[in-house]
Amino acid sequence: MKISNELKVGLTIIGATVIFILGVRYFEDLPLFATTYELKAEFEDAGGLIPGNLVRVSGVSVGSVNSVVISQETGKVEIGFHVDRNIIVTEGSYAIVTGIDALGAVRLDLFLGSPSAPQIPEGGLVDPGKGSDLLGDLSASAPEMFDKVSGVLDGLDSVLAEAGTMLSQPESDLRRTMSSMESAVAELDALLASERGRVDSIMSNVESVTGSLDSAMGKDGEKVSQVMNHLGTTLTTLDAELARLSSVSDNLNVLLQKLNEGQGTLGLLINDPTMYHKMDSTLDSINSLLADFESDPAKYLGEMKLVDLF
Amino acid sequence: MILNPIRALGKYSQLLYHAFGALPEFGTYRVNLWQQMMRIGIDSLPIVMLAAAFSGAVTTVQTAYQLVSPLIPRSIIGSIVVPSMILELGAVVTGFILAGRVGARIAAELGTMRVTEQIDALEAMGLNSIGYLIVPRVLAGIVMFPVLYVAASFVGIGGGMLVGHFGGFVPIGEFLEGAREFFQPFDPVFGLIKSLVFGFTITSISCFKGYNTSGGAEGVGRSTTQAAVASCVFLLLADLVLAATLL
Amino acid sequence: MISVRNINKSFDGRQVLFDVNLDIQEGHTQAIIGRSGSGKSVLMKHIIGLMQPDSGHITVDGIDINIIPYAELRKVRRNFGVLFQGGALFDSMDAFENVAFPLRTFTSKSESEVRAEVMECLGMVELPDVGKKMPSELSGGMQKRVALARAVALKPRYILYDEPTSGLDPETSNTIDELIKSLADQLNVTSIVVTHDMHSVLNIADRAAFIHEGRMHWTGTIEDLHASDDKVLRRFVKANEYQIGV
Ligand SMILES: Nc1ncnc2c1ncn2[C@@H]1O[C@H](COP(=O)(O)OP(=O)(O)OP(=O)(O)O)[C@@H](O)[C@H]1O
Ligand SMILES: [Mg+2]
Repeated sequence: MKISNELKVGLTIIGATVIFILGVRYFEDLPLFATTYELKAEFEDAGGLIPGNLVRVSGVSVGSVNSVVISQETGKVEIGFHVDRNIIVTEGSYAIVTGIDALGAVRLDLFLGSPSAPQIPEGGLVDPGKGSDLLGDLSASAPEMFDKVSGVLDGLDSVLAEAGTMLSQPESDLRRTMSSMESAVAELDALLASERGRVDSIMSNVESVTGSLDSAMGKDGEKVSQVMNHLGTTLTTLDAELARLSSVSDNLNVLLQKLNEGQGTLGLLINDPTMYHKMDSTLDSINSLLADFESDPAKYLGEMKLVDLF
Repeated sequence: MILNPIRALGKYSQLLYHAFGALPEFGTYRVNLWQQMMRIGIDSLPIVMLAAAFSGAVTTVQTAYQLVSPLIPRSIIGSIVVPSMILELGAVVTGFILAGRVGARIAAELGTMRVTEQIDALEAMGLNSIGYLIVPRVLAGIVMFPVLYVAASFVGIGGGMLVGHFGGFVPIGEFLEGAREFFQPFDPVFGLIKSLVFGFTITSISCFKGYNTSGGAEGVGRSTTQAAVASCVFLLLADLVLAATLL
Repeated sequence: MISVRNINKSFDGRQVLFDVNLDIQEGHTQAIIGRSGSGKSVLMKHIIGLMQPDSGHITVDGIDINIIPYAELRKVRRNFGVLFQGGALFDSMDAFENVAFPLRTFTSKSESEVRAEVMECLGMVELPDVGKKMPSELSGGMQKRVALARAVALKPRYILYDEPTSGLDPETSNTIDELIKSLADQLNVTSIVVTHDMHSVLNIADRAAFIHEGRMHWTGTIEDLHASDDKVLRRFVKANEYQIGV
C-alpha cells in the first residue's frame, strides 16, 4: 500500500505533537498521563525558590513549583505549585522551603496532614511550616552559639591556667595535698576506666543520631529551634558548672591533668578527633548532638556531674 | 543604492500581502500544500535529526568539560543541555539546515519556473501563481518547522543524554533529574514560537527571492545563493529579536 | 475583441514598445510579425496582463485589463489559451499532467473525461504516446507541441501563440498551422500568432501586424501585405520568401 502524502504528513504532525506534550509534561514534573492538582502557599521568604523547583512529599518528587510572586497586598511570597492528583493534600498539611539556595537546589517539601482530615480544594492554600528556612535559622543563631562555646572554652582555659600556677608554687596547699591525693587519683583512674564502656556507647549513640538526622531535620524544623534554645541553656549551665569547677581547686588540678591527657570522660569528648570532625564538618552533626542533648540532657549532664565528685 | 533594501522590503511585503489574500482559496494550493509539507518537513527529518543529535552530544561534552568541579553536581549537565536544546539549538540548528536545504531549493525551483515562463503560464491560465506556489510553501514551513523543531529537540536531548551516559559524564537518571529541576515551562513554548517564525522567515524569503528571479540560469543561481544567505541572516536577526522581546 | 491602445513600455530605462496600437476582431486570426527582439513577445504578454504598460490601455471585450482588480483579471485570463515561446511546460509534471492541468484546475470533469480530452489534445499535436514523459525528456519541438496541446485544452475563446512553429520541421509546422486554422474556423477562436515564419502567416492569418523596433510599423490584411510597398516590410517579407521559396 502506498502511503499518501497526507497520511505521512498527518502522522508526523501527530507524532511531534505527542512528543511535545509528553516531553513538556515530563520535564515539568507532571505525570505523563494523569492530571494534576494546583495548590498555593504563602511564605515570608521564598528562600530562593523558582518555578520549576520540585515539590516533594517524604522525599518523593510529586510535582513542581509553577509560580513565585510577591503579593501586592500582603507583601508575602505567593507560591503556586502542582502535585499529582493521587496525592491527597488534606487540612493540616504544611509546606516548607528547604535546600541550599547557593547551590540552586531549593525545593518545596510538603508534609501531609492527617488522611482523615478534609482535602484542601483545588487552588487552596497550604500552611507554611514554621522555620521555613532551617539552615538560615541555624546560621543566624550560630554566632551566639559560638560566643557561648568560646566563653566556656575561655573558662576552661583560665581554670587550667589557675591550676598551673597552683602547681608551680612549691609551698602551696595543693602541693602538700598532692601525695594524699595520689591514692584518690588511682581510685579515680579505676573509676574512669570502668566508665569508658559507657562513654563508648554514648559515642555510638551520637553517631546513629547523626545518621538519621537528615530526615529529622526537615520534619522537625520547629523542634530544632527548641533545641537551639536548649543548647543555649545547656551552655549556660555548663558555664555555671565551670564557675563552680574553678572553685574546686585541689582535686580539679589532677582531674584536669588527666582530662588533658585524654583519659577522662569529658576529656574524651574534647579530645576525640572523630567527634570534633563531626561537629565541624556539618551543621547537621552539631544539630544531632544537640538533638541528643535535648532528647536526654540528663545523660550528658550526668556525665558532667562527675566533675562534681571532685 | 540605499533605497534598494527598502524597495526590496516593500516588494517583499507586497508579495506577502498577495499571499495572505490568496489564503482563502484553499483549492488552488491544497495538493501543493501536502507535497510541500512532505518536501520541507518529512524529507528534512533525517538531516535535521542527525544535526540535532550531534549538537546535543557536543553540548553535553562541552558542558561536562567546562564544569569539572567536584562542587558542582553532574546533574547540572542536564540542566544546561536540555534548555540549550529547547531554547536555542533545536530551533536554530533546524533553521540553518533548512535555510540551506529548503531555502535554496525553493529559490531554485521558483527561479527556474520564473525564467522558463512557467509562472507566466500559471498566471496566463487565470491561476493565482502566488497562491499556487508561495502560499503552500510558506504554510508548509510554518506547520512543519515546529514539527522539525520538536524532532530536533527530542533527538538532541537524547543524543546529549546518551553521550553523557556512555561517555561517562553523567548517568541518564542524573541528567534527567537536572533537566527537570530547572525546567521552565515557557522554554518549549518559546522554542515553538521561534521555530514557527523561522519557518515563516526562511520559506517566505526564499519564495520572494525565487519568485522575483530574472536573468536565466545565472539569475537562478544568484537567487538560490541569496535565498540561503538571506534566510540565515534573517533567521539570526529573528532569533535575536525574539529573545529580546519574549525572554 | 481585443484592442491595444498607445502602449509604451520600457525596461530599466530602455524603451521596447513605442505607442503601439492594434485591434483584433472576434474570430480573426491576427499575425504579429517582426524581427527578433522587436518586441512581439512583450506585446503578447501585455495582452494578457502579464506585463503592465507604462502608459496606454488594453481592453478585452471592452474591459480595461490594466485597471480591473486582480481577481477580475484572472477571470478575463480564463478566456485565453497561451502558448509561450519556450513552451513553459511545468517541469514537475509529465506531459499528460501538463495538458490535464488546466482541465483539472478549471473544470470539474471526471478523471476519464480528462483522460479522453488530454489524449485528444495530444493527438491533435501528433504526440499521442508522450503522456508519461517528463518535459526534460522531450525535444524542443515536442515540448512546444505539448504546450500547444495544453493551451488549447480548455477550448478558450482567445489563443495566443508565440512562435508555434519555430524549431519544427516543415511537415510538423504544417500540421500545427492546420490545427490553428481548424480551431479558428470550427470553434470561432480569435487567434494571435506571433511569428517570423511568413509561410505560416500566409497560410493561416486573416491580418498581419508588423512590429519594427518596438513600433507598430504596418498593419493590414494578408492581401495588403502582398501589395504593400513599405521598404522595411518588403525587406522582412523578402528575407522570408527566399527562405520558403515562394
Ligand atoms: N523582462 C524583460 N526585462 C528586460 N528586457 C526585456 C524583458 N523582456 C523583453 N525585454 C527586451 O525587450 C525587447 C523585446 O523582446 P521580445 O521578447 O519582445 O522580442 P521578440 O520580438 O519576441 O523577439 P523574438 O522573436 O526573438 O522572440 C528585447 O530587446 C528584450 O531584450
Ligand atoms: Mg519572442
